[in-house]
Amino acid sequence: MGSFLIKSPLNIRNPNNHKTFMVNKPHKTKLSFVVPFTHSESTKIFEKKSDLEVWNSFNKGEEAAFNYIYRCYTPILFSVGMQITGNVDLVKDGIQNLFIDLRRKRGTLSEVVSIKSYLLKSLQRDLFRTMKKENSQSIQSIELPENAFLIEVSHETKVIQMESENEINTQLKQALNQLTPKQRQALILLYEEGMSYKEIAEVLEFNQVKTARKLVYRAIESLKQLLKN
Amino acid sequence: MKFKDYDIEHFLTDEFFIQWVKNPDENNQHFWEKWISEHPEKRQVVQKAASVIRSIQAEQNSGISDSMYVDMFENIIHANEWNRDQTYKADQSNPWFSIFSIRKIAATFVIGFCMWISYEGMIKGIKIESETLETMVVSKANPAGKKSILLLADGTKIHLNAASKISYPEVFDDNLRSVKLEGEAYFEVAKDGRPFIVSVGDNAINVLGTSFNVKENGDGLAVALVEGKVRVNDKRGNQVLLDPNEMLVIRKDGKFYKSGFDQMEIAGWKEMYLVFNKSSFEETTSKIEEWYGVEIEVKGKISKDWVYSGQYKGETLENVLRGISHTSGLKYELTGKKVKITKP
Repeated sequence: MGSFLIKSPLNIRNPNNHKTFMVNKPHKTKLSFVVPFTHSESTKIFEKKSDLEVWNSFNKGEEAAFNYIYRCYTPILFSVGMQITGNVDLVKDGIQNLFIDLRRKRGTLSEVVSIKSYLLKSLQRDLFRTMKKENSQSIQSIELPENAFLIEVSHETKVIQMESENEINTQLKQALNQLTPKQRQALILLYEEGMSYKEIAEVLEFNQVKTARKLVYRAIESLKQLLKN
Repeated sequence: MKFKDYDIEHFLTDEFFIQWVKNPDENNQHFWEKWISEHPEKRQVVQKAASVIRSIQAEQNSGISDSMYVDMFENIIHANEWNRDQTYKADQSNPWFSIFSIRKIAATFVIGFCMWISYEGMIKGIKIESETLETMVVSKANPAGKKSILLLADGTKIHLNAASKISYPEVFDDNLRSVKLEGEAYFEVAKDGRPFIVSVGDNAINVLGTSFNVKENGDGLAVALVEGKVRVNDKRGNQVLLDPNEMLVIRKDGKFYKSGFDQMEIAGWKEMYLVFNKSSFEETTSKIEEWYGVEIEVKGKISKDWVYSGQYKGETLENVLRGISHTSGLKYELTGKKVKITKP
């Protein structure tokens, strides 16, 4: 989570936030009611717990659990949202509505085994709904846009890149981007996010894990020749 | 199918294999290392599959900005019943029941309370949260021509070069020391158990007690390690470890490479050494502009293969200009903060 820690703003995490706050404006210390835990505290409490435990604490109304969830998953939600629409405002609204809605339903939420896949699925649904509303003329607009989840083939962390390797990467990238957006999404979730087939099936709303496996198998099958060179 | 019968497409679809590549832990590490030594003929295909897995990533990999992160958090916390999108009401299976639920009433109180708090704050013209955010971060910026040395509470010493800016929290977090840099700085990080992270744009440099130089400009970022060990993460998820005397250069287009470096050339600035090492004309003039906070105007055509090498310690601008023009046949004219260089 190294790079994630950096991106999240220092200020929220700083335990002294509250101290300064209380010294300066004693009559407003009640604000800590809304944000009772700083980010670093919530991380310490929750990072060893299972998704189910974290989710249950959130469902019980623990603000620390919400802080933890927000901190861990907002960056990936944002990044995936941008891969779907490329529209910052849409993504921002989507993430906000998602969390507002979840907070409102606390106490009645059903159990969640993988928070990440649950949130991704929900955001995706919301984005589809909004996109559908926006261009209601096209009937089948619930499908992923053609240019969603384009793939980049990065160089591995090697010091010297050989020419031939560059070329293979370019070919691979082209081949990957010929796949369907859904296949690309599955590969990104599998390889970049390290998700299991079960989690991928949840994000893509497949009833069976098998369907997710097949989607990936077919994608890799079509790249096979290229990969063997 | 057994692993020994696997070809690249099988490895690429095997969960257990992917997990090892993505999140190696004691168990899978132990297994795969053993397995590869049992099946040396498979080493190559395993490496290739691992390399494919590591290199595939989303093209549109936008990181969320700090301001949006904070902004959304605030909006979520402060959201209330009345301005919420109508569609959510429609989602509810049993609206009547939940409207009267205790939870909901309690939530309304909490939300009302938040509104009151923010209202209070606004009336007095204070934006509560953003104000506390601002007071907590210390920012130091040097204009061109000025260098400074900062000593942080944890004992870390930072030499901040001219035309550079650094910001850090007044008090570091319990488990992390994090600073933000624009421009160039030399860090002597004090060891204290907490990692020290320098973020430069979308890149992060992770440190545990060490000395190194970071330079960022329009062309990219260069991290030069003098002693200790650092890890650099870029926005694409790449990670590079540096050993002493190694320099990592990340170009603007995301490409990166490692090289050696001349310590005097890279880090001499903090001891007031102004070093030119086969510098092009552009490099030379922009270095002088930054170092002395002057503007340089050029008259006449300077040849493309113009290079200059030289070293000055704590010299005046006049002396440096004299030295350069002496060896390269240029003429200079110094008036106040302006320098005119002419090719006769």
